[in-house]
Amino acid sequence: MPSDTVAVIGGGPAGLRAAQTIAELGHRVVLIEQHHELGGRPIQENYAGITPHGEPAEPLLRRMAELVTTNPLAEVRLSTEVIGVRGEPGDFTLTLESVAGTETLDVGAAVLATGFQHFDPGRETQMYGYYEFPDVIALQDLEGMLKEHKVVRPSNGETPKKLCFVQCVGSRDRHIGNEYCSKVCCGVASKEAIEVRQLLPDCQVYIFYIDMRMYGYWESQIYWPAQEKHHVQYVKGIITEVLPKGDKLIVRGEDTTMGRPMELAMDMVVLSVGMEPSAGTRKMSRLFGVAQNKYGFVRAASSPLDPVSTSRDGIYACGAALGPADLEDAVSSGSNAATKAISFIRTRNAVAEGRDAVVTG
Amino acid sequence: MPISGKKVDPTVVEKDVATVRSTISGREVELPAMWNRMFEPRVLTETSAEGFEKLNALPGAESLEWCYGCGKCVPVCPVDLVGEYGPRKLHRKVQTGTDLLADPGTWLCTTCANCLRVCPKEVDMIQIMPAVREAAIQEGNVPAELQTVFESTFRYGNALGANPRRRAAWTRDSGIHVRVLADDPHPVDVLFYVEDYWSYHPRGQQAAKAFVRIMHSLGVDFAILGAEEKTIGDSQRLAGERGLFDSLVEQVSATLERYEFNRIVTPDPHAYNALIKEYPKRGHTYDVLHYTQLLAPLIPKMHWSGTIEAKVTFHDPCYLGRHNGEYDAPRKLLQAIPGLELVEMGRCKETAYCCGGGGGGMWLDSFTRDYTSERLSERRVREAVEYGADILAVCCPYEVSRFEDAAKSTGNEDLLVRDIAELIDAAMGHGE
Repeated sequence: MPSDTVAVIGGGPAGLRAAQTIAELGHRVVLIEQHHELGGRPIQENYAGITPHGEPAEPLLRRMAELVTTNPLAEVRLSTEVIGVRGEPGDFTLTLESVAGTETLDVGAAVLATGFQHFDPGRETQMYGYYEFPDVIALQDLEGMLKEHKVVRPSNGETPKKLCFVQCVGSRDRHIGNEYCSKVCCGVASKEAIEVRQLLPDCQVYIFYIDMRMYGYWESQIYWPAQEKHHVQYVKGIITEVLPKGDKLIVRGEDTTMGRPMELAMDMVVLSVGMEPSAGTRKMSRLFGVAQNKYGFVRAASSPLDPVSTSRDGIYACGAALGPADLEDAVSSGSNAATKAISFIRTRNAVAEGRDAVVTG
Repeated sequence: MPISGKKVDPTVVEKDVATVRSTISGREVELPAMWNRMFEPRVLTETSAEGFEKLNALPGAESLEWCYGCGKCVPVCPVDLVGEYGPRKLHRKVQTGTDLLADPGTWLCTTCANCLRVCPKEVDMIQIMPAVREAAIQEGNVPAELQTVFESTFRYGNALGANPRRRAAWTRDSGIHVRVLADDPHPVDVLFYVEDYWSYHPRGQQAAKAFVRIMHSLGVDFAILGAEEKTIGDSQRLAGERGLFDSLVEQVSATLERYEFNRIVTPDPHAYNALIKEYPKRGHTYDVLHYTQLLAPLIPKMHWSGTIEAKVTFHDPCYLGRHNGEYDAPRKLLQAIPGLELVEMGRCKETAYCCGGGGGGMWLDSFTRDYTSERLSERRVREAVEYGADILAVCCPYEVSRFEDAAKSTGNEDLLVRDIAELIDAAMGHGE
């Protein structure tokens, strides 16, 4: 009798919600996380607050993890990687590796929740000097500072008087190869801009953008308050390059509204880096034999109406393993992938027992 | 910085601001947008959001910062069509450090409300402009020609600086007796609030005479305040002189207190606007009609003795149309005139262009000339001609003189500019 267990690969928001859902629906789930703790990017990268409302990230993610670790049907394997996949849909055998050695795990289905990584601004074609200038940082670096309630210029420890965000770094770029919009950076930058304004009321905060992409309620939840209540200055015109001048950074771009060049001195520049498939997403896709899209994310087999099924039966994906996703997307698709995996196993059992199959997608 | 594998030290190139000196005003004007590319590139090198802090301290001016740069305002801004303007651009100027209280842009807006009509963020220039102008005036930044009008209004109770005792002089050759309440104070149905340009401007006086003849022939019981009348002063308020306006409210309401009337009828959409919107806020509520609203329901009583065989187009006054939603009454009147063919311009009703006279623009023509390629009234006259009109019909006292000047200056002398009252009066055969 094949296993009714579902494996969830990755313990970030999407994987946690998938595992929680599987266990709550009465199936055994094994959550496999390569790092030593659960929580994914928000924990590993020290997110201060989650978008859109800015509630502290760490307690929320810890609570999500607890809902999995305290469920008797869920088993969590930390610091563990999947290094082999054998078998066929409905009857897979995974080989797991940890410091304790290797072991095998029989599962009926698997959910890939392997997530994204932040675009590395050193790989940019734009000249933003992330690695050259200490005061050029990325969104997640600022998250770390905000979490400590201390935003200072890395170069000299001083409080910035002018700080700007540069949008679309590593996204929407044919040259880089990431032709997609990373979807969350406009909201995240605006949320961080609000947090900087609250922490440092004397610091002027600018956001340079091509076009603001505030999906749905983010418009009124983040963008409008950032502008109207927190006086964040949005400037239409992307920054082309960052140059040093004395102890300042000169951001050069086009003032699109007025149709003229700008060269503005800033104390700190925050690069709104986009999302790329994580190393884990690339590796697990190959291992599980599921198709990837040209950017390396898991390719949803029949998007948009079934966004979590992969090219291989019994293997589902969720969260940012599928492409840029915000937290709402991630947990929604986590639950979605969980129910798909369970319905796959139940259908398999029904067929084996000669009962009428429930419909699988 | 690695470029093609070689480390090249970057340098910053700063260029001077490109300006030209106006041959008219002698003022140095920064060259915006496409024009500056013909000179040295004008690089923006400094920004400061302090301008917004200053505006946010002025009640009413806060919403400029709400602009998110969609740009919908720019194509409908009447000033942008003849210059570089629009709320979005003002927002950007303030964002880059311009002190709006000392900037000429503060005086170019005609408060026509076309931007507010299309603005998704409700950036409200109708509130922003008077607030910013009031603060600018307090800092001593006010165009001289506008200051003169404020002083005339303060001293004489009218924008033209005319003798208040001669306010009813136009009635003498109107062909009928016009009752002045001070001389004959018994209750009256319609208090005809003539306002400045129908009282004093020669072309306005012709319309005033036409209007009283029409009322007379329709049996309307009406009277005027005569020398006791002072301007309602709404354009002075929008031009930044709230104090002057408030004092006029007190004087006007005290005068009105002394007489019994059912309703006020005025030809001036600006006065109409203030009487129905600003006066109630200050505790004075009246039944107020624009003169076209008085006449439209009386069309069945009008006896026509002639026809006006002409193509007529109508210019919606901003303060009757967009500000107060009255588009039908003037059109009904025009369409009632025998022989008259009403031809609508492309920009009409909600989308109507502005004559340039509102919000103090009436008194800023010389100032505005430095920043615009032509007058708004000239632009509008050319549009009327494009649509094949023989007559441009108006119903705001500012407009007859503005458009007649514009017809001459654009070489369109054949286009006649007539107040609707004049057209009705002629078709009813009253003549002069």
